[in-house]
Amino acid sequence: MKKLFFLFLIILVCSGITLAQTGTKKKRPLDFEYGRVVLNNYSEKAGFAPVVFNHWLHRAKFTCRLCHVDIGFAMKAGATDVKATDNMRGYYCGTCHNGKTLFNGSGNVFEACSKKLSAEDGRRCERCHSLGKKVKQEYEFAQFTAKFPKERFGNGINWEQAEATGAIKPVDFLEGVSIKRPALAIQKDMSIEAKMEGIPAIIFSHKKHTVWNGCELCHPEIFIGVKKGTTKYSMVEIFEGKYCGACHGKVAFPTLDCQRCHTKQVDG
Amino acid sequence: MRHLYKIFIFLVLLFASVDEAGARTIAAPHEYGRVIIANYSARAGLAPVVFNHWVHRALYTCRLCHIDIGFAMEKGATNITAATNKQGLYCGACHNGKYTYNGKTIFASCSETTSRHDAVCERCHWPKKYGDNEREFKVFMEKMPRRPLGNGIDWEAAESSWLIKPVDFLEGISIQRPPLKAQKDFSIEANVAWMSDVIFSHKKHAFWNGCEVCHPEIFPIKKGATRYTMLEIDSGEYCGVCHDKVAFPILDCQRCHMGEKY
Amino acid sequence: MGDSMRNKRGSLAITLATVLMILSSVPVLSNSRCASAAAVSSQDDWKKEFEDICSKTQDSMSFTSDELKSLVGRCDALRPRIEKLDETQKKVYLKRLQMCRDLLAFVLESKSGK
Repeated sequence: MKKLFFLFLIILVCSGITLAQTGTKKKRPLDFEYGRVVLNNYSEKAGFAPVVFNHWLHRAKFTCRLCHVDIGFAMKAGATDVKATDNMRGYYCGTCHNGKTLFNGSGNVFEACSKKLSAEDGRRCERCHSLGKKVKQEYEFAQFTAKFPKERFGNGINWEQAEATGAIKPVDFLEGVSIKRPALAIQKDMSIEAKMEGIPAIIFSHKKHTVWNGCELCHPEIFIGVKKGTTKYSMVEIFEGKYCGACHGKVAFPTLDCQRCHTKQVDG
Repeated sequence: MRHLYKIFIFLVLLFASVDEAGARTIAAPHEYGRVIIANYSARAGLAPVVFNHWVHRALYTCRLCHIDIGFAMEKGATNITAATNKQGLYCGACHNGKYTYNGKTIFASCSETTSRHDAVCERCHWPKKYGDNEREFKVFMEKMPRRPLGNGIDWEAAESSWLIKPVDFLEGISIQRPPLKAQKDFSIEANVAWMSDVIFSHKKHAFWNGCEVCHPEIFPIKKGATRYTMLEIDSGEYCGVCHDKVAFPILDCQRCHMGEKY
Repeated sequence: MGDSMRNKRGSLAITLATVLMILSSVPVLSNSRCASAAAVSSQDDWKKEFEDICSKTQDSMSFTSDELKSLVGRCDALRPRIEKLDETQKKVYLKRLQMCRDLLAFVLESKSGK
């Protein structure tokens, strides 16, 4: 009886630890793992391994806006509801991954999801449907990012500086998909005060964000604006993935790096 | 009375819990803080890596390794391989045969020129035949201020009296940040009447950890939002993430429960 | 004499039949051409309209409230046309239209408060 009770207690405590949202240090994703999205709406049902999408490779080549606004990908795993038929019709992944699009002299971008599958095709499917499989990727993280400016956390890369110095030149327009638009007028920076005493204020740069995102990515879905009464953002909500946390949780540099944003020293 | 059963369970678990070796002993001073890393060593035909915290914490802050270099705070979770070390990541960030500490070159871990049978591998892939590092630890301990339990060393006093000068910045790896103002000390009320309150010092913790080691994952930043008990702490959550196996152990109640009792 | 008459009548009949066939197929031909032309133009239309409206999001801050209202109205009018497209196109363009419309509405609201 005692042993049973003891065992029950151990199970309770262990499950408490595994389910704990706070109180333990979560495993920090390695730099090449950060920004990884696993998609499994239909893969396993179709007999494939779930798709592993790594943001780092695509964000070095394209802006966030191109994929999330022009191509229409959602910002939550599984929410876009991508199917093989969508890809085959030239949408979502198939917008570029169609066996025809040329990219930067590196040849044709491989085709995603075709109707006829030969033995060779199996290997091609595994380039994306790779969860749990040992697949040799075309680009290796350390090699690809060797010359990029480094930063703490996340991918360990200062993507913003990489773009500013020209180490990467993310494409923002895709013929036939993107709409030709005039350039965005430069927005001013603004300061956001921190609630906690002694924590430096944030200098928010619209300019740095619009380079990657344009307007629609953030407004109004993520930031509904002061007019609707949202004047304060709490760090608790941000850590949960709301507001800034929509990107600065799992994909852009993580909010773990407090002083990347909290840069304006408080006087006194 | 209400909380008595929780205290009882905590004490039972404390003295009856088992570690992975199958038997519970309170770790000897030279063993406390030891991490055995065995993700890939056996596959490579080497003994598991024996990492002793006491050697490194005398030289570097917790923050440098766990934040700047990026080591996880859970055994085996970092996923270190010989390849990552050779690339200059993780252990290889310092153990590269080029960096020096106090004029001495730090030996290279997993370099291109070593083979699996080189003696240098065994400095980390420590075979049991070489004993326990106990002698080296005793030599080190002699100069340090003492405190019972854990390593038997009062690390905090050692640091404040400059017997150790832990490095917090590594060129090429650390990113300089302007220092944040240390938060004030505050007291945390104990659940039971017969235990004094905990006096928590942010300043003492921030010296070793900066902010990111604890916030927001271990401790959410909203004060008072999380309630935790000694049961959870002993299971390795909250304070127990460090004060279970690496920093001074929670067996030393009065190190934290220092508030005055009337 | 009878044979030549029969031959003449036969060839006349054949000629008449051929002409009739040609005449009757013309409307068929022109119908399908018209139909495909109509299809092509309507396909172009909604996309052109979409591109025309949503190219203005970058500039949205510089429009007046009336201009923004009319753009939002055009988005709402375009929506049922997109809902008639095939499954994939519908999925993609409904989302794109939604983001575009919401942004324009957002800017309109922020202007109306001033």
